[in-house]
Amino acid sequence: MTDEPTSRPLPVPDAVSAPFWQAAACHELTMAQCGNCSTFSYPPDPVCLACGSFEPGWQFVPVSGKGRILSWTVVRQALIPGVADLLPYVTVDVELDEQPGLRMVARLLDGMDVPLALDDRVEACFEDLAPGVAVPAFRLADE
Amino acid sequence: MSAFPARDKVAIAGYSQSPIVRRSQTSLGSMTIATVREAIADAGLELSDVDGFITTPLFPSLGTHAAEDGTAFVTTHWLSRRLGLTPRYQQDPQGQLPGAVAMAVNAIHAGAAETIVVYRALHNPGGSYHQNSTPQAAGREQWGMAMGHFGPIAAIAMAWNEYAQRYGASPDALAPIAIEARKNGARNAWSHWKGKPLDPEAYLAAPFINDPIRMYDCDIPVDGVAAFVLTSAERARDLPHRPVQVTAYSEMLPLRLRAPSHWPYDDMMELGEIMVERLCRAGGVSLEEIDYPQVYDGFAPLSLFWMELLGIAPRGEAHRMIADGGIDSDREEAVPVLASGGSLGNGRMHGTPQMIECYLQLARRAGEQQRDVSLALACQGVPQMGGAVLYSA
Ligand SMILES: [Zn+2]
Repeated sequence: MTDEPTSRPLPVPDAVSAPFWQAAACHELTMAQCGNCSTFSYPPDPVCLACGSFEPGWQFVPVSGKGRILSWTVVRQALIPGVADLLPYVTVDVELDEQPGLRMVARLLDGMDVPLALDDRVEACFEDLAPGVAVPAFRLADE
Repeated sequence: MSAFPARDKVAIAGYSQSPIVRRSQTSLGSMTIATVREAIADAGLELSDVDGFITTPLFPSLGTHAAEDGTAFVTTHWLSRRLGLTPRYQQDPQGQLPGAVAMAVNAIHAGAAETIVVYRALHNPGGSYHQNSTPQAAGREQWGMAMGHFGPIAAIAMAWNEYAQRYGASPDALAPIAIEARKNGARNAWSHWKGKPLDPEAYLAAPFINDPIRMYDCDIPVDGVAAFVLTSAERARDLPHRPVQVTAYSEMLPLRLRAPSHWPYDDMMELGEIMVERLCRAGGVSLEEIDYPQVYDGFAPLSLFWMELLGIAPRGEAHRMIADGGIDSDREEAVPVLASGGSLGNGRMHGTPQMIECYLQLARRAGEQQRDVSLALACQGVPQMGGAVLYSA
């Protein structure tokens, strides 16, 4: 986590995603839950792909932020602004505990020296990118 | 369900491949005009015989570049106007080469056009291909770029590492793919890598881009154009070269909902399996009958994924087959899946080398590399976003 302002691309909340980013600013991870069938979707979509509802009425519900690593890579090129000083860094593909197949990719903030393996446990944390703007990331968890 | 009604009804009658260069001195549009004219001449036809053009104009960069028609990509409108033609059929579909071939087959079989040139023009904008200077992660990228995850190489690296961890592939498992592609590409007069095979030391010495993906696991951006002349199989029989028929095609499927640049290995295989099954059904063939499969290799892991989708190796085993020389085109018992050199061995041509390879072999125009094959398959793309076309002669 960094307290320094960066010039990384900042998420632009839209009509659907605004609650997600409001919660993220408070370091709370939420997932969009379908108002019709209660399935989580990441990212949210105009349609719930689980039940087919095209008026899914997404509710952004707090989740545990806990999950397991399905894959990872090391980023070594600064293809986007504001990451050059972070290189190299690890990103992880995480399946959240709340639902099979509920996967998101974000940085793993444990540095380059930790050995990683499939199914390693992680929990969500946040990177503060600007005043009032934080994005989810992960840390290795004990359990 | 019966076989595809247009099976073997449309054929490739000729082709041309421009020199593939890192930075062309002439515009991509000019290269396209020259290459298309050469392809038409190769088929024994005149420009006036052509009544259709199809291309996929995708300029596959996520970087911040000025992308203009005629320089970064070449639409059929741009081309037709500059050739002084008003063809009755022209299409610029999204997607990849197999979709363009499919559209040509459908149009010719339906009588919407008699002779169609399918071309693919790809451009290297210079600088960093995917470097993006946006200060905002808007739209879909709020779910990707905002979290520091961006671009196709990162996406492929995730999928490959998922495979490698699951199936125990070594960190150097991709080396034989890049080396095989470069060996074969080095033999092509038109290749960017002509005369420049890759040795294992150079492969391993190159930097990681996104671990475990190294530099030579990624194709190099180039300026290049390939063009193919398609017409009815009946008409093609009167033209100079042995016709190569399009037996079947299968295209991309509706993608799973994912964040940007998130292409999990299981998505590729789940949707890829459906695509391959459709291909076989349309062609009325089984995978075992395909005696010349050419896999895609824009990123090295894709070759291995395609091999497993096509049953060339069991799931999780292609990395072992590759390590044992199983794709070495110079070994009699191998399956030479990258005989053209593909994209890794020629430059970022998005599947045209594989299509050329299928064409040349079946048209018996492969010279010293000629093999005795009857059913060839050209694959393209990330499996669930690309497609495959089956050819016969
Ligand atoms: Zn639903």
